[in-house]
Amino acid sequence: MDPEAARTARESLDLTFHISNILDTGLDRHTLSVLIALCDLGLNPEALAAIVKELRREPSPSPLMPNTPPSIP
Amino acid sequence: MDEEEQKKVIDLVKELVHRLVSQNPQNPNFENSLRYALRILSSRLTPSIAPDASAIAESIKRRLATQGNSSDALTFSDLFSKFSSKTGPGSVNNKWALLYSLKIISDDRKGSKAVVNSSTLLPNLPLNGSHFTNHLNGKENRKLGCRNNGVLLVSKDPENLREIAFREFKNLVKEENEVSEEVLVRDVLYCCQGIDGKYVKFDATVDGYVLSELVKVPRATRVMVRKLCELGWLFRKVRGYISDCMDEFPAEESGTVGQAFCAALQDELSEYYKLLAVLEAQAMNPIPLVSESANSGNYLSLRRLSVWFAEPMVKMRLMAVLVDKCRILRGGAMAGAIHLHAQHGDPLVHEFMTRLLKRVCSPLFEMVRSWVLEGELEDIFAEFFVVSQPVKAESLWREGYRLHAGMLPSFISQSLAQRILRTGKSINFLRVCCDDRGWADAATEAATAAGTTTRRGGLGYGETNALESLVIEAAKRIDKHLLDVMYTRYKFKEHCLAIKRYLLLGQGDFVQYLMDIVGPELSEPANTISSFKLAGLLESAIRSSNAQYDDPDILDRLRVKLMPHGTGDRGWDVFSLEYDANAPLDTLFTESVMARYLRIFNFLWKLRRVEHALIGAWKTMKPNCITSHSFNKLQQAVKLQLLSTLRRCQVLWDEMNHFVTNLQYYIMFEVLEVSWSNFSNEMEVARDLDDLLAAHEKYLYSIFEKSLLGERSQSLCKSLFNLFDLILQFRSHADRLYEGIHELQARTMETSLSSRDKSKARRQKDDTSSEPGSWLSDGRKALTQRASEFLRNMGQEMDAIASEYTSLLEGFLAQLPVQQHVDLKFLLFRLDFTEFYSRLHPNV
Repeated sequence: MDPEAARTARESLDLTFHISNILDTGLDRHTLSVLIALCDLGLNPEALAAIVKELRREPSPSPLMPNTPPSIP
Repeated sequence: MDEEEQKKVIDLVKELVHRLVSQNPQNPNFENSLRYALRILSSRLTPSIAPDASAIAESIKRRLATQGNSSDALTFSDLFSKFSSKTGPGSVNNKWALLYSLKIISDDRKGSKAVVNSSTLLPNLPLNGSHFTNHLNGKENRKLGCRNNGVLLVSKDPENLREIAFREFKNLVKEENEVSEEVLVRDVLYCCQGIDGKYVKFDATVDGYVLSELVKVPRATRVMVRKLCELGWLFRKVRGYISDCMDEFPAEESGTVGQAFCAALQDELSEYYKLLAVLEAQAMNPIPLVSESANSGNYLSLRRLSVWFAEPMVKMRLMAVLVDKCRILRGGAMAGAIHLHAQHGDPLVHEFMTRLLKRVCSPLFEMVRSWVLEGELEDIFAEFFVVSQPVKAESLWREGYRLHAGMLPSFISQSLAQRILRTGKSINFLRVCCDDRGWADAATEAATAAGTTTRRGGLGYGETNALESLVIEAAKRIDKHLLDVMYTRYKFKEHCLAIKRYLLLGQGDFVQYLMDIVGPELSEPANTISSFKLAGLLESAIRSSNAQYDDPDILDRLRVKLMPHGTGDRGWDVFSLEYDANAPLDTLFTESVMARYLRIFNFLWKLRRVEHALIGAWKTMKPNCITSHSFNKLQQAVKLQLLSTLRRCQVLWDEMNHFVTNLQYYIMFEVLEVSWSNFSNEMEVARDLDDLLAAHEKYLYSIFEKSLLGERSQSLCKSLFNLFDLILQFRSHADRLYEGIHELQARTMETSLSSRDKSKARRQKDDTSSEPGSWLSDGRKALTQRASEFLRNMGQEMDAIASEYTSLLEGFLAQLPVQQHVDLKFLLFRLDFTEFYSRLHPNV
């Protein structure tokens, strides 16, 4: 990989990370880079999102989530 | 995906799972998670939305903005523009996928923050596919966990397996059934383009789009989806028709109008496609709400869609109805059928239909234009309402073209259609029969006067007034030109006049002379008459009458015609004159017209002959011829007999002459001249050839009817002819009578002369015997006897004729008032001017 491409890749990753933060996805850089790679390979983004969603939810009622009253979805 | 890529994917997924799972130290079972992840990946092979990065970015931006994070939104759009500008090696290729997945993750996190309810979370039962039970959630699972620990669980495998299988199935079903409104909206949008969606598919058995039965959605939603998908069904219909029409070649079924219709439909559909594209792009955007901070649904819900679809639905329904209607129709009929649907109060529908009709009718109007201005029938597919038939030149006007009522669209009135037909017909008539080129100028003039160009496509639907004015202008000029040609170049009026003068015996001296010279010839039996000789006699009649100053062209056309004769026919029965009208006048003087002229001629000829005969009789029986020579030498009785016979003959002649003269007068002045004068007036005001034909027809008809030749006066005509025959019979009788009288006269002269000689001689001799005197008295006696016998016979025959004549005339007069024709009343009035007949028979 030539330095130019590497720079672009890094910048892209930075941008994506920013976006990810704005969207409050809670993903770290590394995970994000893996996701980018998977997306580029043409995997279904919905499926990827589902994986992240499901695997992160593994812990049953997490302490992180306070007892906010349920609202209409 | 090849092997290497597959491996790479697996590695990456492993890494991902590792990262994710490592965040949760409570969950070390990496293997399971990985398996789960792979299953998720393999289960959802296709993304459910169209790949469009900017649409997703827009959607995210709106979502941020509606949540009140306007600064975030701005930052995001900034970042996104930078992000999307990164291209080339090293950049992210699949930008939309990345963004999409981020969006979903973000949505999910927010959702899970908002709703803390474990039961709504997707059951993570698949993890229980292994024997790990340490992360049970939900009451049931916990119960299971209580009962089955470790080894125990393994031993109780069958039950557990069943449970697991059951749950797995439930999960699968649930996963499948969990259909959000967005997905349904997307499916509906697909359906409306005629494509099967994921859940909503076309079902051939029910002939419509139906939502899969397996999907559990509320009844209301199901109904709504079905309603919305009507659009898709209609669309399929319309598109099917278009493709049917377009596919066939060489388009004989649909024709040009059908093709125009398809093209117009296609245009409407492309509008519809545009709308669908916009809707689809909007589908993922959230509703911009001012107040609400919470997440709102996507912009398009099924309800919104139903509002959006209201207008296209109306149009599409119309199109489908038209398609149904027009499937079997073509050409003008199709345009007419569509026009019927355009009569709609709704301005939307009206405007739509007008647009459609403009396109549909353009080939039809083009046909009208070229027909009216150029006389060309550009109608390969038989769609025009004017149909041509291959006929001979002389019947081109009458039969060459006709209106095809089925192809006449209802927005063109019958009278306008007639006018259109006639205008084109006039052009063709000028071109074919008259060999004339002047009409082209007239047509150009008409086009400029009507304000339309002579180019193609100058007219359209809805401009019926423009069409009408064009047709009227063209018709006016072309008809005028045609009449000019008829009058000046082909001398129609002159020919009519010539026919009146020769065939209708208007030229008195000519007729008189002809009658005089052909009379002896015609008394011969019909089969001995030579038409060449008659032609020679006709020629000499022309030469010796005023007819010789007539146009030689007209005189050349006058011929003698001998009709087919039966046995016993005299020359009088078969002789007739004929007028030869060549093209293009044979359009007016057709064979049937000439046949009628022939019948009129025969009638008039007979009348003339009777009149001629009566005049001839008069010549012989002039009273002075008889009275000058005294019959005083005859016996008183014989003399009285002679005088009474003569008187009876005179009276009968007078009666007949009265009848014939008045009939002749009536025919001449009430029939021929009046009809001719009407005809000339109508000829002046005739605006087209049809008018002229009608005027001529009327002229002939009125002569026909008034001369008792019509259908209704057949019996009258028959008795009239009987009268004629009787008059001719009378003439021969009168001739014989006078012949006898002359002979008698000659004899008496002779006898008186001889008796005078004898008496002189007797006086000289004085003493001769009375023998010669007795001989003389004997001769005189015989003569007187013969004369009285002859006179008695003649008187009897005359009486017979007179009584027959009286009864015939009585019958004729009795029939006359019954006739419908008002002019015949005048004839009766004329014949019975002194009320002689009505007094004689008061019951008549």
